[in-house]
Amino acid sequence: MRVDLKGRVALVTGAAGTIGCAIIRRLSDNGASVVVADINREGAEAAAAELPDAIASVIDISSKDSAERGVAEAIARFGRIDILVNNAGVNSFVHRVNIDAFPLAEWERITRIDLDGLYLMSQAALQPMLKQGDGGRIINIASVVGLAAMRLQSPFVAAKAGIIHMTRSMALELGPQGILTNAIAPGSIMSEGTRSLFYGADGKFAGRTAEFMEHLPLGRPGTADEIAESVLFLSSPSASYINGQILAVDGGWTAGYMM
Amino acid sequence: MQIALQNTFAELLGDPNPVAGAIRDALRANGATIEPVAPVPDILLVSMPLLPVAGYDPSTLLGAARSTGDAMFARGSGRIIFLVSAAAGMPMRRHPEFSVAMAGVVTTVRTLAMQLGPKVLVNAVGVGAVGEPLVAGDAAMLAHASVKRPGSVAEITDTVLFFCDPLNTYTTGQMLSVDGGWSAGYARSF
Repeated sequence: MRVDLKGRVALVTGAAGTIGCAIIRRLSDNGASVVVADINREGAEAAAAELPDAIASVIDISSKDSAERGVAEAIARFGRIDILVNNAGVNSFVHRVNIDAFPLAEWERITRIDLDGLYLMSQAALQPMLKQGDGGRIINIASVVGLAAMRLQSPFVAAKAGIIHMTRSMALELGPQGILTNAIAPGSIMSEGTRSLFYGADGKFAGRTAEFMEHLPLGRPGTADEIAESVLFLSSPSASYINGQILAVDGGWTAGYMM
Repeated sequence: MQIALQNTFAELLGDPNPVAGAIRDALRANGATIEPVAPVPDILLVSMPLLPVAGYDPSTLLGAARSTGDAMFARGSGRIIFLVSAAAGMPMRRHPEFSVAMAGVVTTVRTLAMQLGPKVLVNAVGVGAVGEPLVAGDAAMLAHASVKRPGSVAEITDTVLFFCDPLNTYTTGQMLSVDGGWSAGYARSF
């Protein structure tokens, strides 16, 4: 897909990770200027250095001050923000246990970043976006576990379900100002975390990968580029009447029951 | 928006509404061939009525889509895109039969996605209130569309192209509604 994003400024959080890197490359390839935001300074700087018109911004989305500083840096460099991609998020790869044993500290860490962080980042970016007065786009990266719950990761499931409904709420509130909010719900995507957990030789669930893939009509994990293609579409002028929608990019995982 | 559909054959089935006509033109503009020169198309657009109509029975059209899907599966590849009313995901009190029929179509989309994967991707575009005068949807939708206007035909055709996009390869069994936020929730203020 080729779209015209010349003159548009995109701020992408979690941009040093596998999916984030794919998103910033795709947006940049289609003309956007990019704020490469990540809590990992080295990763953000390395990713930004590969793009023709980008800056790195160290943002901890769980901090209001950090989110606001990052937005200020973006405005100082580019003068505006047109597209916010709320991609940053975490899950627990160690505490895979039922709710009765899930550690409070880990619950608070995950929900603080995944749910509170999306709120803080959106609120910070919306200040200039609303002042600009000519609309914009917010794309929230949720997860299929926000649509179909899974075991052993209750805070991640709760946060992603929260993001999905928050997306709809944001769409209702911001639509009249021309800011369209949508979410992408990725399925199993080959990232550092899932590679280790499911596909690595010492991964906790490595032996069950084949069984899991039988539940997917496409029978394979997705790639970061496949997520980025959907982000590109929802960021583009072509998606100007899509608002409050949740697009699962999941190989058909949530289409129905495969067994 | 541009996608690469050179050497791609597309077939259109069903209701010849203005949106389907514009999609045919958009597919051609992006390189696809519409004429039935191939026995099994690469892309199948299944077009449902987009203005609410009572008593509509999609079963014959769904049977034809399933037959083409089976042929695509046997060949090893294909895309099927259903054009349906957004009422498929949000039933309308004044259009009960139409809402039920459209919901049935979307269940068929999901079933076909499971049966024809991984070779054939099957998705749907849910169309809200489009055009002035309306060529899709119902004027009542506009009261709850947070984007305070009807959609354009081009906004629908581009979403269909997204599902035809050769780089969009991990989405199947989904309906993406293009309705200005009508189905997102309750937009009125209290």
